[in-house]
Amino acid sequence: MSNFVRGVASGMLSAAWRLLPPSLAPWARAMNRELAEIGGDGDALLFAFGCLRAILGLAIAARLRSLCAAARDILFPPTPSTRSLPTMNDILARPRLLGLICGAGAVGMGLAYMLAAGAPSRYLLVNLAALVLGASAWLALGRAAGSRLAGAGPAILALAVPLVLTAWFGVASGGASRWVSVGPLNLQVSLILLPAMLVLYARRPDAIGTAGMIAAAVALAAQPDRAMAGVLLAGLLILALATRGRLAMLATAASFAAFGWTLLTPDALAAVPYVDQILYTAFDVHPLAGAAVVIGAAALMAPALIGVSRGAAERPALLAFGGCWMGVVLAAALGNYPTPLVGYGGSAVLGYLLSVALLPGGARQAGGSRAPGSQPIADRGSEQTTSELRVPHPA
Amino acid sequence: MSRNRTLSNPARALLAALLAAGDRWSHGYELASLTGIKSGTLYPLLIRLEAQGYLAAEWQQPVASGRPPRHAYRLTAAGQRRARAEAAPPGQAAVAGWRAGGAAS
Repeated sequence: MSNFVRGVASGMLSAAWRLLPPSLAPWARAMNRELAEIGGDGDALLFAFGCLRAILGLAIAARLRSLCAAARDILFPPTPSTRSLPTMNDILARPRLLGLICGAGAVGMGLAYMLAAGAPSRYLLVNLAALVLGASAWLALGRAAGSRLAGAGPAILALAVPLVLTAWFGVASGGASRWVSVGPLNLQVSLILLPAMLVLYARRPDAIGTAGMIAAAVALAAQPDRAMAGVLLAGLLILALATRGRLAMLATAASFAAFGWTLLTPDALAAVPYVDQILYTAFDVHPLAGAAVVIGAAALMAPALIGVSRGAAERPALLAFGGCWMGVVLAAALGNYPTPLVGYGGSAVLGYLLSVALLPGGARQAGGSRAPGSQPIADRGSEQTTSELRVPHPA
Repeated sequence: MSRNRTLSNPARALLAALLAAGDRWSHGYELASLTGIKSGTLYPLLIRLEAQGYLAAEWQQPVASGRPPRHAYRLTAAGQRRARAEAAPPGQAAVAGWRAGGAAS
């Protein structure tokens, strides 16, 4: 009996010490060694239980500390120059983080509007689920997006494939084929993928990426999707003007042709409640609901506006991002197109957070705002931008 | 710089026991028996005191054969100052505790 009790007590501690970080493991061994010096079996078992409690407490504390450190590194990556606590200034200097906050805020504003307007609870849940999914993608893409820009071109081309397939095999409605059916939901593929493609292309506008953007333009013309073709044109035009790159101009010309084509095709889709035209109808619900929708929609451009005004790294990417989401909001204001994030629809939520995830993480400079056309600061962990993004210092 | 917090009663009792032991090494079960502190509280306290520089710990070979090595503990000079400060009457304790804390910083 004695050996059995001692064996159980010792086995418990032996199993538990593996939970501890290496620096604390000797302490668990020390606890275990004391068991041999305790006279009574009952006392030994009580001593072992107490030690087990101590080990578990220490292990949980160590895990929590490492989790907190990991979360802090993801949200506020340390830079060689600054290792201070996050402040509002830190947040404003990090377009990725600011975008996540703006996206979540816009979804929150939209939920408030939908609640006030009496939207079905399923709509709220869909937007919330998309927010969780998008935030997970934001976390997952965090470091990969910065360090694997070399694969941006092939990635853009690969992302164009679903757009092309949707044009021919997607769910059709009112003469347009823009959606794919996922269970009870119809997802608008272009709204999910196109903003991310634009940001990637702005960060690495190479020949393969240009082919991908041209393929996307063709797909949008074929669907047809006037709003997203306009969004593509807006994003590429801003990029071309900012970088003066020949490839970007070529992609812009293709998107211009695609947008022109969509203008020739009638867009007969009717407005859908809680999705389209809500920039106006929300004010009929309550002035505060209307304000929530307008503020939420405006917040989508904040990462670009603040980033550019503060001279953040990779200005063209921020400009393309801003142009893209300004285009989506303008389309929603002008026609029967989804109002992003504040209206019902998970596609825009996913698309926004995916594009935000691919934004530069947040290099900053000491000298305040930067003059347009100056050399961009390299993003931490990212590869060098192409010559197309490099503009000589002013003389 | 270590923070000079007010100690809990088990921490005071442990410091007192270690101070009474002087330069002699003590072991975990012995300290638990002397102070009445449960092992679940004792070891986190020992770990904290060691991290703060108040406690020295070492593995000692067994006196009797067939026994495993044991972890032994005694106060460092800073630990002894801190323990004396904690044991002093309240009026003196504040000043002595501040000095002891400063010395360990």
